[in-house]
Amino acid sequence: MRTLPSDAVLTERLLAPLWNVPRFWWLLFGLSSMGTLLLIGAVSYTVARGIGVWGNNIPVAWAFAITNFVWWIGIGHAGTFISAFLLLLNQRWRGSINRIAEAMTIFALVNAAMFPVLHLGRPWFFYWLVPYPSTMNVWPNFKSALPWDVAAVTAYFTVSLLFWYLGLVPDFASARDAAPTRLRRIAYGVFAMGWRGSGYQWSRYRIAYMLLAGLATPLVISVHSIVSLDFSITKLPGWHSTIFPPYFVIGAIYSGLAMVIILLIPLRRAFSLADLITEMHFDRLAKLMLVMGLMLLYSYVMESFMSWYSGDQYERYVYLFSRPRGPYAVAYWIMTIFNVGAPQVFWLRRFRTSTVVLFLVSVAVLIGMWLERFIIIVTSLNRDFLTSSWHVFVPTWVDLSILAGSLALFSTLFLLFVRFVPAMAISEMKVLRHELSVSPTVGQAADA
Amino acid sequence: MTSFDDELSRRNFVKLLGASMALAGLDGCSRMPGEKILPYVHQPRELTPGIATHYATAMMLDGFATGLVVESHEGRPTKIEGNPDHPASLGAAGIFEQASLLQLYDSNRASAVRSAHAPTGWEAFSEAFSPRALRNHVGGHGAGLALLLEATSSSVIADMIATLKGLYPEAGIHYYSPLARTEASIPQYDIRAANVILAIESDFLAAGPMQLRMSREFSDRRREPSADMNRLYAIESAVTVTGSSADHRFRCRPSMIQPVLAELYSLLGDASVPAQRAAERSYGGITSSALRVIAADLSRHKGQCLVIAGERQPPSVHALVAAINEQLGNTGRTVWRIRSPLLGAGDGSFSIEALAGRLRDGAVDTLICIGGNPSYNTPGPLQFDGAFRKVRNTAYVGLYENETGQNAKWLVPAAHYLETWGDGRAYDGTLSVVQPLVQPLNGGKSAVEILAAVCGVEKSPLALLRESLGRTGLVGETAWTDAVRRGFVVGAAAPRIQGPTIVVPTAAAPEKTDHIDVTFAADSRTHDGSFANNGWLQELPDPVTKLTWDNAAHLSPATAARLLVGSGDTVLVRTPASSIRLPVLIVAGHADDSVTVHFGYGRRGAERLAAGVGTDVFPMWPATGAFVSSASVDRAVDAGQHTFAITQSHWKMDGREQAKSETLRSYNARQATFKPDDHPPPSLFKGEPPPAAVKQWAMTIDLGLCTGCSACVVACQSENNIPVVGKEDVEKSREMQWLRIDRYQDGTEENPEFIAQPMLCQQCERAPCEYVCPVGATDHSPDGLNEMVYNRCVGTRFCSNNCPYKVRRFNWFDYNAEISETEKMAKNPDVTVRERGVMEKCTFCVQRIREKEISAEVAGTPFLGSSVVTACQQACPTRAITFGSLTEPESEVMRQREGPRAYNVLDELGTRPRVRYLSRIRNANPALDTEQ
Amino acid sequence: MPALFPRWTNTAVRTVLISLAVVLPGVPISVMAWQRTPGATGSGYSPDQPVPFNHLLHVTDFRIDCRYCHASAERSSVAGLPPSSACTACHNEVWSNSIALAPVRQSLATNRPVAWNRVNRLPDFVYFNHSIHVAKGVGCETCHGRVDRMSQVVRTAPLTMQWCVDCHANPGPKLRPVDEITVMGRAVGADQVALGDELVRRYKVRRLTNCTTCHR
Repeated sequence: MRTLPSDAVLTERLLAPLWNVPRFWWLLFGLSSMGTLLLIGAVSYTVARGIGVWGNNIPVAWAFAITNFVWWIGIGHAGTFISAFLLLLNQRWRGSINRIAEAMTIFALVNAAMFPVLHLGRPWFFYWLVPYPSTMNVWPNFKSALPWDVAAVTAYFTVSLLFWYLGLVPDFASARDAAPTRLRRIAYGVFAMGWRGSGYQWSRYRIAYMLLAGLATPLVISVHSIVSLDFSITKLPGWHSTIFPPYFVIGAIYSGLAMVIILLIPLRRAFSLADLITEMHFDRLAKLMLVMGLMLLYSYVMESFMSWYSGDQYERYVYLFSRPRGPYAVAYWIMTIFNVGAPQVFWLRRFRTSTVVLFLVSVAVLIGMWLERFIIIVTSLNRDFLTSSWHVFVPTWVDLSILAGSLALFSTLFLLFVRFVPAMAISEMKVLRHELSVSPTVGQAADA
Repeated sequence: MTSFDDELSRRNFVKLLGASMALAGLDGCSRMPGEKILPYVHQPRELTPGIATHYATAMMLDGFATGLVVESHEGRPTKIEGNPDHPASLGAAGIFEQASLLQLYDSNRASAVRSAHAPTGWEAFSEAFSPRALRNHVGGHGAGLALLLEATSSSVIADMIATLKGLYPEAGIHYYSPLARTEASIPQYDIRAANVILAIESDFLAAGPMQLRMSREFSDRRREPSADMNRLYAIESAVTVTGSSADHRFRCRPSMIQPVLAELYSLLGDASVPAQRAAERSYGGITSSALRVIAADLSRHKGQCLVIAGERQPPSVHALVAAINEQLGNTGRTVWRIRSPLLGAGDGSFSIEALAGRLRDGAVDTLICIGGNPSYNTPGPLQFDGAFRKVRNTAYVGLYENETGQNAKWLVPAAHYLETWGDGRAYDGTLSVVQPLVQPLNGGKSAVEILAAVCGVEKSPLALLRESLGRTGLVGETAWTDAVRRGFVVGAAAPRIQGPTIVVPTAAAPEKTDHIDVTFAADSRTHDGSFANNGWLQELPDPVTKLTWDNAAHLSPATAARLLVGSGDTVLVRTPASSIRLPVLIVAGHADDSVTVHFGYGRRGAERLAAGVGTDVFPMWPATGAFVSSASVDRAVDAGQHTFAITQSHWKMDGREQAKSETLRSYNARQATFKPDDHPPPSLFKGEPPPAAVKQWAMTIDLGLCTGCSACVVACQSENNIPVVGKEDVEKSREMQWLRIDRYQDGTEENPEFIAQPMLCQQCERAPCEYVCPVGATDHSPDGLNEMVYNRCVGTRFCSNNCPYKVRRFNWFDYNAEISETEKMAKNPDVTVRERGVMEKCTFCVQRIREKEISAEVAGTPFLGSSVVTACQQACPTRAITFGSLTEPESEVMRQREGPRAYNVLDELGTRPRVRYLSRIRNANPALDTEQ
Repeated sequence: MPALFPRWTNTAVRTVLISLAVVLPGVPISVMAWQRTPGATGSGYSPDQPVPFNHLLHVTDFRIDCRYCHASAERSSVAGLPPSSACTACHNEVWSNSIALAPVRQSLATNRPVAWNRVNRLPDFVYFNHSIHVAKGVGCETCHGRVDRMSQVVRTAPLTMQWCVDCHANPGPKLRPVDEITVMGRAVGADQVALGDELVRRYKVRRLTNCTTCHR
């Protein structure tokens, strides 16, 4: 890491994937787009026939769709966390991973945004959740969390997109200058918006970037807090809980970090970026994961403790019986082991820097986090107050196709991203390199 | 109630259909016009568009009439209710009566007269069966002619039969309904006069021609927990509604019923029950000691108690019961007999065995089968189907082209009872008039018209009816009009007669047998299969098992364990008649060593809904028609797991006090120190207090009176246009009924304590569903209703998640798009037909509230809360549901809400429900009370 | 190397950006505006009828009361359309064989109804009741307009929910004494405010804006 290649070499290397496409890319792209077709099929079927094609029922009126929604939104958070949060905290090492993280945020949000609309009984009226003067002169009900959801997610998506794009402008410019054909030069040129890299532009750029970072940072906290209100404002045992906002935010960043690692490791291998995405990066990401894992453990313990301490029989039933011993006990224990157990290996440096371990743990955490949302939603609903209305939920093939399809859509978008957009913030890398060459201690400075 | 008898003033249904389409607007809902309005050509004087009319009529079931009042919108019947004045209804309506509306509009009904397989026409039929044509085949005296009718008590049919007999003296007249009561004299009960009731295998609260009246009389003695409360003991093998409403329920093997009664008889021999313990016997549940206690209780109330035996018990049991009632001095006071009004009762013409014999011998050339379905619902060993097909010339007249219709040479669509004139007798002999509301939808013919054609009589059914009724003493225009308006003739109950001399069968010692008793029971929803094509009934959860769209072999937990089977496994039930594979359903409280199977499933006719639902058990029904037989039951290993569509998956309350019940004793103790608390539970969010100017609607449900019979569920379904979702969706727990009846069974698997709890939208004052709806589609009205606005709902289902009672229902698919054009005519035009993707729930019948409210304000008369009657309340046979306004302190609903038995379900959640429940009071006999 | 983009592209980009700034908010706003136009609400809709029945003639010239034909307006939820027989009450005498009345005569002959085209159409989930509005002093004119001047009936009200609610929230200004219900062109005097309040009191008119007032 201490001996970085020259600017020119750097630029050329980082732009290489844009000009020559490796075969495996086509392979992966083919697979994921097939999965995306599955998604399109399943979604059209749902819209055509009705929500009944899912496994949902009364009492379990929410299941996969909302689980996926919360999960994807959560994943998005890590992107903003890394790019904005760490930027404001002046964590330089973020430079080599923030672009990927931000892209991930965007694509995760695209997925997430799909579900709230799709899960409506009458999706064609989704705009009734938006406040606008209608000839019915009725307005959304602002006591409910859902209109705020809409607002939060839309704002989050807009800001993230702008933030991402702004960061891309200088790199689009270098892509424009390096592009082999005129057509590509024009294409990248359009997106570069006439970036010339003048000092004037740089100063403006820095201000705008910082402002957006400032805007994005509170969103990391707010969005998932609002999402968590979808549950905590209800009376339902297992949902009705004040710990939810922080608990959800932690979970969100946690799952997001896992996704970042899952994306980084193959990318690093594929484009041989070992000297740019270094052990130090993984080490720090792993440490973050460990911290988040521990905070999550705290939340789990707190939840169960409070349910017992409250003395409320319904609360106690959900946390102390229904979840650990009920029909979804298996999911519950997998969740606990994956989310809390797995990251404990990161106490050891050896594992923090082993890409294999990192990858496996991250996958485990992603699964665990999906299950966590599933547990929260389904096990609270399927056995609530009146024992007579208890009923289990069983997913249908459509539920599963949509989940699989949304993963495929995500990877399709990501593959297109590495193919057409500089996957690493070239300009920032150069800056970092210069700073390092001036004083090799900047790296450590950033560590502290 | 208005009435009209002038055939000409009856409007052609198709035109009405057009008008009602335009006025009620059942089609889609586009904002832009482009729709036709079809006014009348001549407006019938008794009819104002937009205002419903009501007509009195009556429905026959197994030959007995129940008086009804039918609501009609622009000439299309939309709701069937009980006739408050009719002795067999008293204002209530059972599930079959109410659901028969759907039968009227059933698109599967037979629609054309056909011969062989070619559609002919009514003329061809009446020609082919006219005396001229028929004589050549059946002989001058009609020796080759046989007639098979459903059990009936109609005097006009009786007269037509007489005419026919005059024409064909040797013609064989047969009657058959598998579940009909065929003795020459039938017992009548005065439940109200009985302090102690012992029901032996009798479901008198939920089955039989008098169930509505008996339920009311039974409940009238239980409204107020007091010393005057009656006490009900039930001894039964299967779990029935009556058994689960009893104060003490005992299990008993069906084959043990007679020994049990024999011991009871001997116990009652001398008034003072022997103190010294006789040999302690157990009868697969009930024991001698329990019998002693019951005997003592009965003899304490000589002349004021009652022992009822199930209608389908063998004569020996009935004889014993009659003897016991005699012993107790009940005869003539709580029980007496009348001559059965059924035609051919007791004279052997009900023997289907005899007819089958005649058919097989080729003695019959022409068989006219009016109603019923003998090819399906006769005992398997009789091979009736085969014999029927042997006959040269067969005609079937029925609503559907069912198993019998498919085999008949001639098929004539029958007229629904709402399409034709007729008459019949209630179980107590009261003469009831059947008045049509519409012209036959697809040219159906009534039994009378068929008989008239066969006899060559050329008179309208109405004319014939008036003649016959004239003969019964109903003379003069005013008498007739009055009878039609009321729907029955007042005070026409049959006179009491001396019952047959009782021969007490010798008490047979209970033999220890290794075989299993099989009981053939009427199904709670399809009866004998005649209602199998009715979506409302197929999807109505069985009052006991909550099973829908299916039948099963009911086994006790112990017996199932012994046979190594669980619910969903398949067993092979072998009777002398034949053997049948049935899925097992384990029923807590069922008697050991016995299996109960239900008629009415496994239909093979042209009814699309019924086809392939459940299993047909008629083939293994003994030729004798005995309802109890011995069988062997074995596990069928090769069979896979059968999935039942059962609406409830958890039966225990797990210590959550959802449905409260207590013994009279503990209630009395509690009530002494009871003071109503008037301060509402604390609430964080301050909803403004409801305005006093308008009504504040509320409901109370008395769990002590609710038997779980489910009449209210059907009433709600009919009133509120609730769709039928089908078996698959019920399996997924997506049934749509706004009002469900939760059923809890706490205690042991052998002898659980049953309690039924109607659960509907609680109309919470602090409704959790309201604040979570993002679009404000559910909101609170000034008069305390939790409103649901379908057209605003986008279907987030957030409200359902936050409803602690889980009473909200969601349109997972576009259920209403799948129904037939005729079925749309059954919809209530005062209630929106919901589309796919919207939430719905009980509205307290807001359409009825608004209708009464508006008519009162237009008329300028005071608007009383008691004037509004919800559909469920109206149908309830026991009057367990009370509805009214909290702004009227003297109203019944207020009195009950403030009483010591009233409580809110999940009160601790602070939702402040407007529906309150009254805890159930068990009038337990201290000598048996398990609690002490 | 030559400039990748010619000068004009700058202007192009600026134009695009500016027009986006206009279009993005513009589209929804114009949709909301259009929603309120007669084109969208359908007010002013006036279909040809099978019988060219002339209200102007019958109401203004012959002074026939609305309730002669729309007989159930005071009793029922629907005002009702006259049965064919109602026409012939007079038209057996006058115009007994005009071409215009052919459909009516045919209807009576064939016993099939005359198929009129609906002018005022509410969605099926709206339960409007004529009788209560009449009883509370809402005149025919208030919703149906100056029918006495219509040779062919025109829908004058937008019939949007907003339109209904405006009056339900504040009925006073729209009320009139019940004996003037069918009066056409009733002058709304300066005293209407006072009169409105007076009538609200007299007829016990409530401000009904809760959902189940109309949706059941």
